[in-house]
Amino acid sequence: MDANLLVEARSLGVRYGAKRALDDVSFTIPKGRVVGLLGHNGAGKTTLLKALVGLVKPAQGELAVLGMNPLRDRVDLLEQACYIPDVAILPRWARVADLIGLMSGLHPRFSAARARELLRRTSVDPADKVKSLSKGMVVQAHLALVAAIDARLMILDEPTLGLDVLSRKAFYEMLIDEWCDGERSVLVSTHQVEEIEALLSDVLMLNEGKLVLSISLEDMDRRFVALSHDASVAEQVAAAHPLLRYRTGPGTAGNAALFDGAPAEQVMRLGQRVRPSLVDLFVALTRRPELDRTQF
Amino acid sequence: MTTMNRLIPLVQREWLQHRFGWALLVLVPLGLGVLLGSVGHIDLGDEPPRGAMLPLAITAISLLACTAAMFVILWGASLIFASGLARRDHGDRSIEFWLSLPVGHVASIAVPLVVHLIVVPAAALVIGLAAGVLMSALLVTRLVDFGAWLAVPWGDVVPALLAVLGRLVAGIPLATLWLLPLVLLLVLLNAWFKRWGLVVMVAGTVVLVILERTTGIGLASVVADFANHAATSFIGASRTELKASGAEEALAVLRQVPRWAGNDLLAALRDLASPLLAGGLLASAGLFALLIEWRRRGASAAN
Repeated sequence: MDANLLVEARSLGVRYGAKRALDDVSFTIPKGRVVGLLGHNGAGKTTLLKALVGLVKPAQGELAVLGMNPLRDRVDLLEQACYIPDVAILPRWARVADLIGLMSGLHPRFSAARARELLRRTSVDPADKVKSLSKGMVVQAHLALVAAIDARLMILDEPTLGLDVLSRKAFYEMLIDEWCDGERSVLVSTHQVEEIEALLSDVLMLNEGKLVLSISLEDMDRRFVALSHDASVAEQVAAAHPLLRYRTGPGTAGNAALFDGAPAEQVMRLGQRVRPSLVDLFVALTRRPELDRTQF
Repeated sequence: MTTMNRLIPLVQREWLQHRFGWALLVLVPLGLGVLLGSVGHIDLGDEPPRGAMLPLAITAISLLACTAAMFVILWGASLIFASGLARRDHGDRSIEFWLSLPVGHVASIAVPLVVHLIVVPAAALVIGLAAGVLMSALLVTRLVDFGAWLAVPWGDVVPALLAVLGRLVAGIPLATLWLLPLVLLLVLLNAWFKRWGLVVMVAGTVVLVILERTTGIGLASVVADFANHAATSFIGASRTELKASGAEEALAVLRQVPRWAGNDLLAALRDLASPLLAGGLLASAGLFALLIEWRRRGASAAN
């Protein structure tokens, strides 16, 4: 395995009985990247993240995380990779300070001082009992605990679910400004794509267990072309078979089409090239391509 | 960070989670005992011991009763806690949090089992004995006077007490070895059938008894054998009794207690060399492996 790669998956497959949760998934995550994992509910995001930390047994393929086999080396792996599951629920019987104490003993790379420092930025007090906290406060406490781990890889499954917009923003700012140091990588699955698009360096898109896109944001901008055009030329644009046609605003000028690769020159002249958004690309690649969203 | 260092926080977790429950289980009976001992009616029977025998008898009964009561209460509670161990973090869904920490499945199940089946019962014996000393002082003072309690031949009583305590504490892991297949079966049934685990186990036992009576297949007797061995491993493996009928005899018997306790422990250790226990431990290993697999599969359940 390349020492620069923190994650390497080859033809990864996971089954739940007869259902294929992941099918022939291959990708890599190098050092220093912030990777967004996008997919609809049931697309296989949680399964993939659990497989990465050894909580799901792959039925096929090869998986190496930090050079380790997650299933066999789960404990060693979790010393260097921290993970927030999608159900960010802390034990209700504990006080936050109890959890700081327990994690100090259980996790060799956990810093109690750092956790307390991060908690001071939230509305959670270490003396608070988890059962007395709101859902959002529990998430804040959990994020503070996990961000206090000096890991090489952070795996976050819908980490900010239940948080208000200010708390979400504060968390992602802390993550990028203080946690990411060019060596560590983050893999984050979320439905709040617009909020984190600017933070991402790469994106993985899952659709019904298949990886439909694994690309850096720079390459995405080069490869995919969005064309803003007037309603009067909609038929001509549609004839060029875009991945997706959608509305960008009110009126006849608020139409756009998304192409995989630049369309023919005469099509490009029908409108103006704009940067494709991650959301539009996500919709284009995970819904039926012939779908016309201009009528929505 | 060594493996041992990693295990200590798991023990600490049990303390943090159960400390208030344990405190209640200790303090409520102790408070009731002190209250009843202070103001309740005490019947010494038709022929109560006289003279120096009375404080000694009250002290012996207090120590025995308090130790036994505390042990039964805390050991019973621990068995209940332990039987629900596999599913306990599923109720508040914090299992996901625990699974995200670098702790192996084996340690996650084994450490709490050791705490609830061995550490807590051993602590119960020590606490019960200490409570017995307190109760004996209270009762002797009330029925005779405090001077009589001080005049109890502690030079003979304390070595006997410590010997019995040592024997009982050493008996806990031995008894646990015998009970392990039954306890792990209950933990596993509770993991598989949630709160119906105990019902399934009781129903299974009834079926075994009926089978034994109708077909002569003695599986119920085997289960009973494990329970009997567990009891004698805890105390009484040598099957010898110490009896006294007078004050002088009582003191002589007290002096024999340390030797008796040592012999009893040796007899319990000799009992371990048994094909029945070997089979039980093999079954326990299988049940434990199933528990680990259940936890591992639970971790990978689709959301």
